[in-house]
Amino acid sequence: MKIYKTILMACTVLSVFACTNLDEELFDRVEDEDFGKTPKEIEALVGGAYSSLRGFSDAISNAFPASEYVFFLNEVVSDEATLPTRGTDWYDGGQYQNAQRHQWTPENGMILSAWRYCYAGIAKINAIIYQIDKSGLSEDDKKPIFAELKSVRAYYYYTLLDLFGNVPIVTDFEDLGLPSNSSRKEVYDFVETELLEALPYLPATIAYSKFTKNVAYSLLARLYLNSEAFIGTPRWQDCIDMCQNISGYSLEPDYFANFATQNEKSNEIIFAIPYDSDAGTLGNYMSSMSYHYLQRFAVSPTGDYQWSANGMCAQPGVYSSFDDTDRRKASMLAGDQINLATGSVIIMDSGQPLTYTEEISNFEDAKQNEGVRLHKYQINAGDQWERDNDFVLIRYAEILMMQAESYVRLNSPDLARPFLDQITARAGVETPAIIDLSYLDKELLREFIFEGHRRTDNIRFGTFFQPWWEKDATPAYRAIFPIPTSVLNTNTNLSQNFGYPN
Amino acid sequence: MDNKNIQISFRKGMTKRSFVLMVVLFFLTFTGNAQEKKMITGTILDNTGVPLIGATILESQTSNGTVTDFDGKFELLVSVGSSIKVSYMGYITETVQITVSVNSPINITLQEDAFALDAVEIVAIGYGTMRKSDLTGAISTISSEDLVKGTVTSTEQVLQGKIAGLVVTQDTGDPSSGSSLRLRGGTSLTASNSPLIVVDGIAGVDINIVQPSDIQSIDILKDASATAIYGSRGANGVIIITTKSTKRGLSFNYDGFTGVSYASNHLDMLSADQWRAYVRENGLTDAIDFGGDTNWQKELERAPALTQSHSINMASGNENGGLRASVSYLKNEGTVKTTEMERLSASLNTHQYALDRAIKFDVGLFANIDKWHPLDYRIFERAFNLNPTIPVYDHNGDFTAVGGTLYENPVEILTNRSADNKRNRLLGYFKTEANFLNDFQATVNVSLEHNASTGNTYKPTYAVLEGRSENGYGQKTYGEYTTLQIEAYVNYTKSLGNSNVNAMVGYSYLDNGYEGFGAQRSGFVSDLFEYNNLGAGKDYRLGDVYSYKGKSNLASFFARANYAYDSRYMVTATIRKDGSSRFGANNKWGIFPSASVAWRVTGENFMEPTRDWLTNLKFRAGYGVTGNQDGIGEYKSLSILGVGGDSYYDPATGTWSLAYSPAQNPNPDLKWESTAQLNIGMDFSLFNRISGSVEWYDKRTKDLLYTYEVPQPPYLVGTILANVGELTNKGLEVSLNANLLQNDKVSWNTNLNFATNTQKIERLSNQVYKTDIIYSGSLHGLSGMSNQFSQIIREGYPVGIFWGYESAGLDDNGEFILSAEKTAIGNVQPDFTVGFGMDFSYNNFDLAFTTYGSFGQEVLNATNMMLYDPNRLAAYNVPDDFLDSGINSAPAYSSYWMEDASFLRLQTVSVGYTIPFKKSSSKLRLYVLGENLAVFTDYQGVDPELNLTGLANPGMDRFNNYPRPTTVSLGLNLNLGY
Repeated sequence: MKIYKTILMACTVLSVFACTNLDEELFDRVEDEDFGKTPKEIEALVGGAYSSLRGFSDAISNAFPASEYVFFLNEVVSDEATLPTRGTDWYDGGQYQNAQRHQWTPENGMILSAWRYCYAGIAKINAIIYQIDKSGLSEDDKKPIFAELKSVRAYYYYTLLDLFGNVPIVTDFEDLGLPSNSSRKEVYDFVETELLEALPYLPATIAYSKFTKNVAYSLLARLYLNSEAFIGTPRWQDCIDMCQNISGYSLEPDYFANFATQNEKSNEIIFAIPYDSDAGTLGNYMSSMSYHYLQRFAVSPTGDYQWSANGMCAQPGVYSSFDDTDRRKASMLAGDQINLATGSVIIMDSGQPLTYTEEISNFEDAKQNEGVRLHKYQINAGDQWERDNDFVLIRYAEILMMQAESYVRLNSPDLARPFLDQITARAGVETPAIIDLSYLDKELLREFIFEGHRRTDNIRFGTFFQPWWEKDATPAYRAIFPIPTSVLNTNTNLSQNFGYPN
Repeated sequence: MDNKNIQISFRKGMTKRSFVLMVVLFFLTFTGNAQEKKMITGTILDNTGVPLIGATILESQTSNGTVTDFDGKFELLVSVGSSIKVSYMGYITETVQITVSVNSPINITLQEDAFALDAVEIVAIGYGTMRKSDLTGAISTISSEDLVKGTVTSTEQVLQGKIAGLVVTQDTGDPSSGSSLRLRGGTSLTASNSPLIVVDGIAGVDINIVQPSDIQSIDILKDASATAIYGSRGANGVIIITTKSTKRGLSFNYDGFTGVSYASNHLDMLSADQWRAYVRENGLTDAIDFGGDTNWQKELERAPALTQSHSINMASGNENGGLRASVSYLKNEGTVKTTEMERLSASLNTHQYALDRAIKFDVGLFANIDKWHPLDYRIFERAFNLNPTIPVYDHNGDFTAVGGTLYENPVEILTNRSADNKRNRLLGYFKTEANFLNDFQATVNVSLEHNASTGNTYKPTYAVLEGRSENGYGQKTYGEYTTLQIEAYVNYTKSLGNSNVNAMVGYSYLDNGYEGFGAQRSGFVSDLFEYNNLGAGKDYRLGDVYSYKGKSNLASFFARANYAYDSRYMVTATIRKDGSSRFGANNKWGIFPSASVAWRVTGENFMEPTRDWLTNLKFRAGYGVTGNQDGIGEYKSLSILGVGGDSYYDPATGTWSLAYSPAQNPNPDLKWESTAQLNIGMDFSLFNRISGSVEWYDKRTKDLLYTYEVPQPPYLVGTILANVGELTNKGLEVSLNANLLQNDKVSWNTNLNFATNTQKIERLSNQVYKTDIIYSGSLHGLSGMSNQFSQIIREGYPVGIFWGYESAGLDDNGEFILSAEKTAIGNVQPDFTVGFGMDFSYNNFDLAFTTYGSFGQEVLNATNMMLYDPNRLAAYNVPDDFLDSGINSAPAYSSYWMEDASFLRLQTVSVGYTIPFKKSSSKLRLYVLGENLAVFTDYQGVDPELNLTGLANPGMDRFNNYPRPTTVSLGLNLNLGY
């Protein structure tokens, strides 16, 4: 039949063209199974564990440990910093006000950011472990790599232990089952075990920004220092013992060398997150989160400095608690800000001079110039938005202070004195005759102001639960944050931390 | 007569007043006869007096006949006493007795036959055409003369207000800003909601490849029974553009206009005098008076902005083939300085017949170059912020440098930067049509679309924004995509008695590749080179150089069968199977079926009594399933590693290296969104004067793509692209056309379209992925509103519900009275949209206007929300009305700032005069055209017409106030036919 033949013919013609290959062809990225075959490629995978420490920003949250919002969260709930609302500025749904007043809810975006910072890092490291496990490397070659990766992961779990307590422990990249909570004690034990098991394989060298034995010791010391606060079991002597394993570091004669743009040269820094704007690192712009908009004219006569957002400042009372001789007082910027081009005080748009004051008249509607500013890290004319200084996580001064505190806690304040003398001598102040917890609490503030330690210290010293500026007494359950609402909604196997609404 | 050839050479819209000669394949023979013969000559005209070319004149009971020539003239030797029958498709056949007394020349005017017109009006339906009378789906057609005229810089705009259910929105008044098209509401949260664009049979191309002057007709396929033939790309409707092709004879046309534009509106901010009065009355001693008097909005403006457009096309053709070429140039200045759109475009179409017309070759080529200067939109907010006493320039003649954040001099921002972008578009195709075995036509169409964009930016070392801090900043970007398509299909058409059968099978393969690169540098010693020598910048950062490349494939098989009996009962069925490389491994192929029926009631004998007035009545019903795969993108289903801004420090060497990191949660189940649509429609015609259609539809989209938040742990990253939700769109569309008056001198036509659509999100969660609320309409970037959202997406609501506190006005202290709980406070979805137009001609004068409007949509006036702030004065400016508003509270998002943005825009008004030539196929028309002369609205902001589409910020007025211009143009159309 004609028609039949025609159709047959047409089909034959069509089948000549009929390509139906639908495999995706990749050009500028690689499928996971095709990567991790060479030592260089494995290095590039391990590097991802370290780069994860800088955090990330996506449509859901801003999870940068050095600025928005992980750093913000740690600072504004402590007694050293505040983020007042200025007109409309920095209201942002009230998230800072609620945090400042210890009335945060599980919806708070800063809390979600901190949670995601840790678990994104953990998931990434789990993926890297999975990837390297498949790589064909010998088991012996894998051991030091896994030790390093698991230690970085333990740092994240330590942070979760500190912030959230009862968090799920996930270690298997392939398991997408929804995990349930582990108890705070289980998380504590996990962190300790992981670090202790990794220690034999970690390098004993001093390798800046890498997870070495010294870093693991320091983190374990921190764990033991806060052991009572975390799980109710004090381990002061364990803390001292762990600190004494640490070697190869010394205090920098200049306190601010630790916060210089080139602070990787510091001999005091044990662990830091390195940043370099030329290398494309993101999330290190805290210097622009504090100064007034017009600060740039006090940095450069041509205004060649980044825009600043006029945000975080010290809580009233903090600045004046420093002796004027204390070199560390320069961690804050107060007073008249001079326009370098004119030599006179910068005038704000309101017509008033830009003079940073310690007092904040109205926390809900502060004036633009109120609050002394965070001024710890070096700033320079011509700085990029992404700054080049590294963000300090652990420095040797903390090892000294941990030992001093542990000795005081063990009722041997005299044994604390040699450690404290090193700290105070550099600061240009005297160690007092009586060394007690109250003194240590204030000294920790002065030494580590704006380094993200203060919330943990406040909790350990119990001051966290007492009223302070713009805050009433805090119930005990707020020593840890709630699990964020959006996480609870998507994982019904999780239960909320005690005290918080589900 | 050979039907197939009619289908080849007829395109929609060629019937009325056209030049096109109908193809007649029989030879007319003169047979000797003893009777007395008489040579008669004459002209055949349509009812508007336009000559009909190719009308058939046949001596009755003989095979003696002829056809009219280009001027509608004929001559024929006929027997005295016989009669001649004059027929023309779409017109009622006339019979004229030839007596001795009949004197040549005789003029015969044929009357239009509404039904017969439908029968010859050929509608593009995708991979074939169909007589309008046999359609079973919802398809609207618009011909070239009905397109919106004026300063059109994006081809989408020619459809604005013309089609019931099609909403066209130009983002801003910037001539380089694109327009969005939305048919029957959006079906997707993630994917593009733009209809699929088909140009001369090539699917998925950029609509702007075609210039308005080259468009012959546009067919809009609305319902699934019509669009299902496009399968996984048909869910948002299909717009088929048919370009003008060669006509028989020679023609030359010039269309040109020149126009002046002004910003149509401003926000009324305090002038310097008003500001000073306020400062004086309130004793604000700290307030700084800079001594100037500046209207910052006006300082940014270009008044008037000039537009010129020239378009030339020429065509020649005969029975063996033809050629048409066009070239056009448009330069449209925006009402904000530096903005403009310059477009040079050309097209070439040629076709040729071979083997006794059994084969037709078609070659088409379209190309254009766009140039424009992207605007830094931050200038608008600055213009509202700046104190009106600040002069633009200081006493040295330099830009006044002032204060703090969001307080930079907007004129400086606008001036001290170079931004030059360019885009090239190219579309070419080679199509072969072969007719064989009488009833078959095979088509092979090979096409290539290439689209390349370059971007250049330079901010000099002295520019306040980014220039100074970067010591000069230069950037170049390049991106291109190339789509190669091969389509092959066979149509079978057969008429058996009263039955018409059409069947089609086909295959198509599409290969889309894209690639690009970019580079940026800063740290320039000199600003001399601008972006032309990036190597002159010394600072290099990771990410300053990048490149990318990707590819996707789509393979499809499709078939359609259509059966019509006596043009009374019609049934159509289609099926398409689509496979896409983007789909996950578990869902590589999708099947998209449809079926539809129609019944032309007026074809029935029992309708005889009403046929005088009810000239046509047809009912249609169709159901089909279509898809949307735009939202997937490439490589989304795979587990991949990326390299990018992820660097790590090596302390041994003190250097940085790049890390490779897993980039996304893989989803091997990823697939298209699937939309099932039921459409019931009716077409009618009354007295041959009023015609229209009514459509009702119910669209149900499932497997909605959305980037779901997934719990961390255990997921690698916080989101995954997955097919989860369901949403529905239901609506009604009415189109009416009326020929109110028609005689030798006067013609008066009007058209009206009306559409309403109701959208509802039915489901957002499934077993695996759960979401109660998706926040959208971000307020981020407004002072104090970081990470705040104004809208929610939630089951039971449409997309774009404003969710916030209900405001009961102000209390005695000027504070907002707000409800305790957040609630739905507004809906960006309009209640209905309309288009209305009229055209009127009297002798050689013509007058026309078009309007369009949208009613019931509620929008957030975030501009006012932020400007009505008591903290602003005296440092920052405020609107005049703020002083009387009584507001004494910092900005807060609430229903206080929701406004009804209903509007009706007088889009165009034109007055023309046509100078007739002796040769009636030539003419010269002069006209004046006014665009956007009036907007009827209660909206307080600069322009009520906001983009209501997308998820980012639909229906939000937030300092993006580039006002649409008001334009008056003077134009000329010259058409020469010879």
